[in-house]
Amino acid sequence: MKHFLRVLTQFLVFLYCKCLWRGLKFIFRKVTGRCELQRICYNNKPGARRTLKIESSLKCSKSELLQNALSVHPDAVEKTIDDIMALKKINPDTNPQLAISLQASLFQIVGYRNLVLEVEKLRREPYDCENPDHEEMLMKLWKTLRPDSALTGRISKQWCEIGFQGSDPKTDFRGMGLLGLHNLLYFAEHDKAAALQVLHDSLQPKHRNISKEEASKMSKAEWEKQKFDKAIGYSFAIVGINITDLAYSLLVSGALKTHLYNVAPEMPSLMHFQQTFCYLMQEFHRFWIEEDPCDIMEFNRVRTKFQKRVLKQLKNPDMALCPHFTASDLHLVNL
Amino acid sequence: MAAAVGVNKQTSAASMEPCVRHGRGTTGNTVKVLECGVCEDVFSLQGDKVPRLLLCGHTVCHDCLTRLPLHGRAVRCPFDRQATELGDSGVWGLKKNFALLELLERLQNGASNQSGMSEEALREMGECIIRCDEDESHTASVYCTVCATHLCAECSQLTHSTRTLAKHRRVPLADKPHEKTLCPQHQVHAIEFVCLEEGCQPGPLMCCVCKEYGKHQGHKHAVLEAEANQIRASILDMAHCIRTFTEEVSEYSRKLVGIVQQIEGGEQIVDDGVGMAHTEHDDCRVVLAKQEINRLLETLQKQQQQFTEMADHVQLDAGIPVTFTKDNRVHIGPKMEIRVVTLGLDGAGKTTILFKLKQDEFMQPIPTIGFNVETVEYKNLKFTIWDVGGKHKLRPLWKHYYLNTQAVVFVIDSCHRDRLMEAHSELAKLLTEKELRDALLLIFANKQDVPGAVSVEEMTELLSLHKLCCGRSWHIQGCDARSGTGLHEGLDWLSRQLVAAGVLDVA
Repeated sequence: MKHFLRVLTQFLVFLYCKCLWRGLKFIFRKVTGRCELQRICYNNKPGARRTLKIESSLKCSKSELLQNALSVHPDAVEKTIDDIMALKKINPDTNPQLAISLQASLFQIVGYRNLVLEVEKLRREPYDCENPDHEEMLMKLWKTLRPDSALTGRISKQWCEIGFQGSDPKTDFRGMGLLGLHNLLYFAEHDKAAALQVLHDSLQPKHRNISKEEASKMSKAEWEKQKFDKAIGYSFAIVGINITDLAYSLLVSGALKTHLYNVAPEMPSLMHFQQTFCYLMQEFHRFWIEEDPCDIMEFNRVRTKFQKRVLKQLKNPDMALCPHFTASDLHLVNL
Repeated sequence: MAAAVGVNKQTSAASMEPCVRHGRGTTGNTVKVLECGVCEDVFSLQGDKVPRLLLCGHTVCHDCLTRLPLHGRAVRCPFDRQATELGDSGVWGLKKNFALLELLERLQNGASNQSGMSEEALREMGECIIRCDEDESHTASVYCTVCATHLCAECSQLTHSTRTLAKHRRVPLADKPHEKTLCPQHQVHAIEFVCLEEGCQPGPLMCCVCKEYGKHQGHKHAVLEAEANQIRASILDMAHCIRTFTEEVSEYSRKLVGIVQQIEGGEQIVDDGVGMAHTEHDDCRVVLAKQEINRLLETLQKQQQQFTEMADHVQLDAGIPVTFTKDNRVHIGPKMEIRVVTLGLDGAGKTTILFKLKQDEFMQPIPTIGFNVETVEYKNLKFTIWDVGGKHKLRPLWKHYYLNTQAVVFVIDSCHRDRLMEAHSELAKLLTEKELRDALLLIFANKQDVPGAVSVEEMTELLSLHKLCCGRSWHIQGCDARSGTGLHEGLDWLSRQLVAAGVLDVA
């Protein structure tokens, strides 16, 4: 009985909210003479704030046209905008900015969807030894990271130097497929300095600076052991693959929306994702050094902590992870 | 001064505390039972040692009283100094302690004076010889049914020598017919009926007078013998119940003892002793005891019910399943926890197996950096599986996960023939570890679904496992993490090895 009442109350509250919300929308529309999309566009800064609101507004819309606008093909976006303007009876001549803003937002929304699909496709594609493109990318990765030493063979112990697990890197691309390779290569090529720095640090892990008090507390053997364990730094390549997994899960869960809507003026592309990956790699490296874990076995703990921190940052709608393109650039587009 | 102890029922009924005590260590019906508290001589029925009562309630023998100093006309009690006024006749005027005298008399007469004694008193004195009614020194051997006397053979001849008396039927004592119990109200009538009214349950026996005119007038009644037989039958039932009950109890206690013995080598459990009811011959006594029997029966049934309920409860709750493993660990609780470390070369499928077991879904994992830990529940076992990265550089760190590990799961990629040797050397290294000396070894030959994979037999050969794992419990299990085949068989093997044979059934 109690349970039933509770359910009933919840249901009524839900119904009431729904009706009230619709009612409020109607009143606002009458008072301001603008539809919801207009209100959103005029009241919010361009970027994630605006796009996220438009997205939820479209999603909750009763109109089929508006709902479908979310999954429209990028080429049809312009036509969809015209349709929406017609449906909402907005004169494009009096509100020229609305169409542009709406179009930008819609491009972002649609682009994000396509990016997820693209990334997923890359991830699903396994590394194929027979495919010359794949082989070429792998060789390029080696050359970029180790310009001084030549690779002795396709299967070689040397791969461990850049942080693969075994002598054949192929086995490490299991879960993330080509996406891992693409990301690593992008990082190595476009952010070479940072990549080499990370690789360097991972090969020569700094020993924990043990203060005198600490040193006196632990025995020599213990200290030696810690030094030894610590000496096993993390491995560049497989950390890269792990961070790819992190970025991928952020993208799929939609948490990256905030970031991508803020940094990509129009359609977010794979490049944006890869830039995000580079940023995450560097940030993680910094975080790892800050955390100063005892040994590599703490990787998962540090990774989880790092992920929580990133998620927290992405809660803020003004947040952009890497300020390559900031939201201010969007003004240019909108104006 | 000796205080009065051990008061006989009969004397205490007289609400006085005679200064007497039982002769310690004396048994039977000897006269050295009651002594004067002052001179410690035995009281006698008459003469100097006759017990006399003082005003305070203490009893002193006549002789000692005469020797007490007079304080005016009074004597002081030697035990509590209370004064007792003496009359003109002096000590002779004090009342004899008749209750004590009666007791003395009974004790002295012993069993020979049967008529004055209740059956109870008789039994209290233990097995006794029935004396000849004619001469106390003789032992009776026959019973005259007419005269209702116990006689020895000699006296029987003597007393029944006349022609009239010679006709008396005399039977051996063993065949002596039971005496009819007489109604307490109407001494001449024997008890023949039993009252069935609720109100009369405390005293249901009645003679014909009670039935027709006395206090049971108009009450529902039954014939004594029938009622007695009925109750006897119920006693037999009860005895049967008790027997099954005790059997049950002892069975459970046997089980418990077994468990306790397994826990700490044997402590005896004392089962609730259930006394058997003795069956008496006397109808009246049976009927009188009816209430008590009913009460007993009720208690018994209640106990039995409680016991069965408890047994149910215990089994439902059942509690605290205790599992003993071969490595002498005791696991208490519904789940048995096992610590397992999954090791193997990189890319062998350790993480995939872990997640397949955990979520029953196949996923391509990313290379494990560090470790993953998951608990997997399987049957009544709770595996805590540590999946440690197989990367070459991580292998020295495996040792941190050995501690307290009950089992090592070594995963080998069966479709990588060229890496088998590397796996072999890692495995050989593992087996030399001191911490893993007692650990079980389960080898998963993973990726059996891939065409061209090394079969389990071939792998056993290639890795010379029989030689390598000599002297430890190991098992190789072909499996396929994609579909999950073989994984549970492996866990089954682990649980079989961990749990000492047969004990799992208790849980």
